[in-house]
Amino acid sequence: MNMQWQGAWESVIHHPLFGIGITLGAYQLVLAAYEKTRWIFLQPVLASMLLVIGVLLSCGLSYAEYRKSTDILSILLGPATVALAVPLYLNLRRIRQLFWPIFTTLVIGGVFATALVVGLAWWFGAEHMVLMTLAPKSVTSPIAMLVAEQIGGVAALAAVFVLITGVIGAICGPALLNLLRVSSPEARGMALGMTAHAVGTSVALQESEECGAFAALAMSLMGVATAVFLPLAVTLVV
Amino acid sequence: MLLRGLTWLVLFQLLGTALNHLFVPVLPGPIIGLLLLLGFLVVRGQVSEPLSQAASGLLRYLPLLLVPPAVGVMVYAADIAADFWAIVGALVLSLLISMAFVGVLMQRLLKNHSHTEERP
Repeated sequence: MNMQWQGAWESVIHHPLFGIGITLGAYQLVLAAYEKTRWIFLQPVLASMLLVIGVLLSCGLSYAEYRKSTDILSILLGPATVALAVPLYLNLRRIRQLFWPIFTTLVIGGVFATALVVGLAWWFGAEHMVLMTLAPKSVTSPIAMLVAEQIGGVAALAAVFVLITGVIGAICGPALLNLLRVSSPEARGMALGMTAHAVGTSVALQESEECGAFAALAMSLMGVATAVFLPLAVTLVV
Repeated sequence: MLLRGLTWLVLFQLLGTALNHLFVPVLPGPIIGLLLLLGFLVVRGQVSEPLSQAASGLLRYLPLLLVPPAVGVMVYAADIAADFWAIVGALVLSLLISMAFVGVLMQRLLKNHSHTEERP
């Protein structure tokens, strides 16, 4: 009898659908918990990731097996990245009159933010793989993950760095901007969206709609600029 | 409707993948697809209904799609532990400094911009 139970358990956890099942379950659990508590640490990806890792470790499953069973979800990441063009286009139309301030901030701020994180980590003694993974940390995870992999970093780590950045930005950002007397919604939105991507944008949306629109714009512009120029810069420098 | 939009997205991604192999190996296929679609939308001047449905549908579930790659962090636990303080220090410091920098810069530029607008 005992043997049969064990056999059933084994065939359940090694079924190709098991990975998708726990991913869907963990994600919805986290979403429901976030709806209830509004706790900023319950970022869907971060919290679901921890839950899934917990289940995998307790069942003794390897990441390779989990990855294989969730291939369907990973394949959809490509079209989802392409789909980012739609909100980007809608934002582009909205704020044409402020083109130069936005463009200048994006170029100077983007280069500064990327150079600063790599420089600091290098100074603190991080190794090459970690540096290449930190470089795209200011942009939304799909782009950061693609770019990190392209320039010799690790996609999974990039996702974690991106999330940490977003959460810190959301917690400290508004207070920091108040302290520096940055009061215009456009500037606050730019700062939140450019440095803290989607999490920053959600905070900006709570401040005002205008602030949120600028954050969304800054996030998508920073994402595309990073995707296009960071791999080029790395190829030229390294 | 949704399927037609999805087909467009897949088509642009595949086009991007082809261009990635042929001409620009530095840019990932999906990013080339994104740029192509953006160019297409700018030329066309509007977003069609199926495309906007498919895009917003996919983007709504973006966090879910990112969970499997994020779980891969379990393989790199040792690497993170080795560089833990360098990583955390660099992340926190660079975030605070660059957010302050971007906010102040944008505010300055906006002020200059509105001054030049007021002058005839």
